[in-house]
Amino acid sequence: MRAIRTARRRAVVLATVAALGAGLLAGCADDGKDEESTGSGDAKGKTTITVGLFGTFGFKEAGLYDEYMKLNPKINIKETVIERNENYYPALVNHLTTGSGLQDIQGVEVGNIAEITATQGDKLVDLSKFGKKSDFLGWKWEQGTTKDGKTVGLGTDVGPMAICYRKDLFEKAGLPTDREELAKLWEGDWAKFVEVGRDFKKGAPKDVTFMDSPGGLLNAILSSETEKFYNAEGEVIYKTNPAVKDAFDLTANAAEEGLIGKQVQFQPAWDTTIANGKFAAMSCPPWMLGYIKGKSKPEAAGKWDVAKAPKSGNWGGSFLSVPKAGKNTDEAAKLAAWLTAPEQQAKLFAVQGSFPSAPSTYEGDKVLNAKNDMTGDAPIGQIFADAAKSSPVQVIGPKDQIIQQGLTDNGVILVTQGKSAADAWSNAVKTIDNNLEK
Amino acid sequence: MTTTLTPPQQPAPEAVPDDKARKTRGPRSARAGGQFHAGPLTYVILTLFTLGSLFPLFWTAVAASRDNARLAETPPPLWFGANLSDKLAVAWEDANLGEAFLNTTFVAGTSAIVTCFLSAMAGFAFAKLRFKGRNALLLVVIGTMMVPPQLSVIPLYMMVAKLDWSDQLQAVLLPSLVNAFGVFFMRQYLTQALPDELIEAGRVDGASTWRIMWHIVFPVARPAMAVLAMLKFVETWNDFLWPFLVLTQHGSPTVQVAVAGLGRGYTPDQALIMAGALLGTLPLLLVFTIFGKQIVGGIMQGAVKG
Amino acid sequence: MPSRHSIAASPVKGGAAPAGSPPAGRAPEEERRRAKLSRRWQRDLRWSPYAFVAPFFALFIAFGLFPLIYTGWASLHTVELTAPTDMEWAGLKNYVRIFDDEFFWNAARNTLIIGVISTVPQLAMAMGIAHLLNYKLRGSTFWRVAMLAPYATSVAAAALVFVLLFGRDYGMINWALGFVGLDAIDWQNDSWASKLAVSTIVIWRWTGYNALIYLAAMQAIPHDLYESAALDGASRWRQFFHVTLPSLRPTILFTVVVSTIGATQIFGEPLLFDASKGASGGGTHQFQTLGLYLYEQGWINQHLGRASAIAWSMFAILILIGLVNSVISRRLRASS
Repeated sequence: MRAIRTARRRAVVLATVAALGAGLLAGCADDGKDEESTGSGDAKGKTTITVGLFGTFGFKEAGLYDEYMKLNPKINIKETVIERNENYYPALVNHLTTGSGLQDIQGVEVGNIAEITATQGDKLVDLSKFGKKSDFLGWKWEQGTTKDGKTVGLGTDVGPMAICYRKDLFEKAGLPTDREELAKLWEGDWAKFVEVGRDFKKGAPKDVTFMDSPGGLLNAILSSETEKFYNAEGEVIYKTNPAVKDAFDLTANAAEEGLIGKQVQFQPAWDTTIANGKFAAMSCPPWMLGYIKGKSKPEAAGKWDVAKAPKSGNWGGSFLSVPKAGKNTDEAAKLAAWLTAPEQQAKLFAVQGSFPSAPSTYEGDKVLNAKNDMTGDAPIGQIFADAAKSSPVQVIGPKDQIIQQGLTDNGVILVTQGKSAADAWSNAVKTIDNNLEK
Repeated sequence: MTTTLTPPQQPAPEAVPDDKARKTRGPRSARAGGQFHAGPLTYVILTLFTLGSLFPLFWTAVAASRDNARLAETPPPLWFGANLSDKLAVAWEDANLGEAFLNTTFVAGTSAIVTCFLSAMAGFAFAKLRFKGRNALLLVVIGTMMVPPQLSVIPLYMMVAKLDWSDQLQAVLLPSLVNAFGVFFMRQYLTQALPDELIEAGRVDGASTWRIMWHIVFPVARPAMAVLAMLKFVETWNDFLWPFLVLTQHGSPTVQVAVAGLGRGYTPDQALIMAGALLGTLPLLLVFTIFGKQIVGGIMQGAVKG
Repeated sequence: MPSRHSIAASPVKGGAAPAGSPPAGRAPEEERRRAKLSRRWQRDLRWSPYAFVAPFFALFIAFGLFPLIYTGWASLHTVELTAPTDMEWAGLKNYVRIFDDEFFWNAARNTLIIGVISTVPQLAMAMGIAHLLNYKLRGSTFWRVAMLAPYATSVAAAALVFVLLFGRDYGMINWALGFVGLDAIDWQNDSWASKLAVSTIVIWRWTGYNALIYLAAMQAIPHDLYESAALDGASRWRQFFHVTLPSLRPTILFTVVVSTIGATQIFGEPLLFDASKGASGGGTHQFQTLGLYLYEQGWINQHLGRASAIAWSMFAILILIGLVNSVISRRLRASS
């Protein structure tokens, strides 16, 4: 009977463990509820506003949360950041459609804003009463506005593009190094820019390419078009739009000729080509200067310069939205409006290099006199401000990101791996069409 | 003979399976190692495999101790740089890992304990009890193993949203309790490890099925349950897709979710990401190192054998 | 006199009730008690199996069935992630188009290839390691724990480090190849190299675990089998092939089934192997698996209906494999 007795004792122990487990479970559930009930106001009566973002917005780094909490002692701000937008965005959509798991404020990337305004507009708070339309660039405000006129996303920043180039490498290749002169050389036409690249190749060291990555050039060209993947009626036209095919071919040919590096942007290997000066020019929005600085060796400081791009365009930029399902929509909307107000955008630019979407700041000291270590005394603020003002009001569509990614990752990059331009195009088109088909 | 109708309360010593039955089914021979001593070649080959096994883990730590620039140079670093403790500290702080470890331990621990009991029960029923629809239900269990997990995520999330569970640990815990593999595993184990005679003896003693479960099946199943608990613990600890969807970093995240925000930005800090990966793995590695003997022993005893 | 065993077994067949007329001289009270007991006995026998499987099925119905039904229903519709309750009837369209969806078949091919080149070497190596570990070894626990260590690593952590090791320009593996005079391999973009690299991650994580399972089974093989083989003059190799492998057949079958199911669902490794390409599994989808394709259609492209149909097709393929597998193993069993 000893066996039975030990078994029984064991049973008691197990039952205790099970009960404990259940107790813990219940305790956990309770915790959850407690948190929920106090989530909007703790003992001191503070309201906590949660902010869900991806990548680097820089609000925290620029001290904006601290400043706001000082101005509003009853507000407490908590931030959640997911590194990659590919992870962040599908989850955001899923959270919006179910009205659960949302933060009080959610960031939205420009590549997704069209889809958000088209499909999730009724899940988001109309921020037009909180933000001031006149503060923003007209097209930026429009991008965050739904068809029926509700503004559900307030712009945080824009990415006006210029050309960043290495003066020393241009000089070695026998090209002019003056930014005005260069800008004239390629003014108005990306084909002229590639032509400059051919000249560069003739005189440049063997292992240095003119541009960094096919994706960079393709993106720059497409961004300067009014219509790229969608027309004003909202139809997908990327396949038939000559501007897209021309941009693709121009890039693919340049890559075939060896004018462009083989790297994929934002990969470690690409970073090294920055550090080791393996290319001479890249299309760059203001935030790219921060990236270059982060990847460069100290001796590269001052060797870069910035010239106006053949045609101005915009790369990147984000929005803040306030889901209706949040607990503190009113306070959250106020915070979103404050974070995107011109003064804050200017501060963010100073710290983070995110270029303001509020044109009133362009005349202000912070933008006008902005300098960057990498570019010496180049008047980057003015150059980027001009680019922002002259950027086309681009038609954006809900699936821009998928199309762009298809053209880049399943398209032009293949040319550097030995595929012909035509093969790369057909691979990209097949991929995109399959991805778009419902 | 009327003793066939022995009242259940009376122990029937004769009903214990006879020695012969025990010998063929009973404990394996007590041999510790194999039948031969290992030659030097064996040690050489094992050393190579061990290197292959441990090197990536070692190099994760090396990468975490360097910076982006050094990681993009030839030759690659082979030894630790100066940043390891810094990066680990930053990762710990940034991802709020202390709390995440507690949460994950709770979720993975509860899930492991509960699933191994439920699996043992269902596994026993499938292995040794006869009932209508047994084969059909077993097919359902095996079929459940084959459902690709990526898709269930969306409807499951709709459910969690309806229940208002997002950002709460039960949203991760409860769905993880559905463990068809566990049922299958326990069934395979009990089919061969649990002699029918033992159950029959219990029946003769008049034990109900439930008592048989407690007094006969659980003791026999213990090694396999331990393995299953460990498998489930590791699986739940490392799960990402689902917890990522239902938990946020400042709610009550699990380790994998907490680590996902590290190294963000236009210049992802590779070393910091590696530090996060290392910290996420370290607790399990430590447990494996400290309790290696027991864990390996458990697998050896509890594995489905020939 | 019947043996004790057949008596003991009779309750299982539901024969515990006092059959026939009770022997004389018993009190009616005793008889009633017995009848009650036997009713309880029978109830127990009939219903407790269901009670034992009930918790699993209750959880399954709560958290497994609804997703299955939902995706099954969604697969017959055009539904987008942006409005998952807004369904438009599509009939079998989502299934029919799979037949000429070259991306699906590409993914199916990749899944098969990656499945084979990850499972076969993995199990073969596991068998070899188990055989070595089965010798009398010094520090046997050390070797075993070392083999098991990769298993504790998450897919994400493993993928992160292997991506660095397999880097084209600065990766350790290409550096080592260069050391012995071989050209650098573009592990992410080359069709076969990328599949090999993805498989390597799988192999690395699971070999040790399977080795221990095999080792456990090996140690359960009765010693006398080896002894008699040795008496017959069989070498170690012959013993391995003629004693060890046949004895391990059920274990091998188990690991093959589990690994096959795992291989069909490979997802995390290819997703993270080239994260810059999202879920497309490389520029030309050269290592996109079915699990990844399903994820891409459902999550990235937000086509819930299509993704559901892909999931159910995967499910059907697995069932098919399972059937073929069981037919073959039944044949094998019958022939041996």
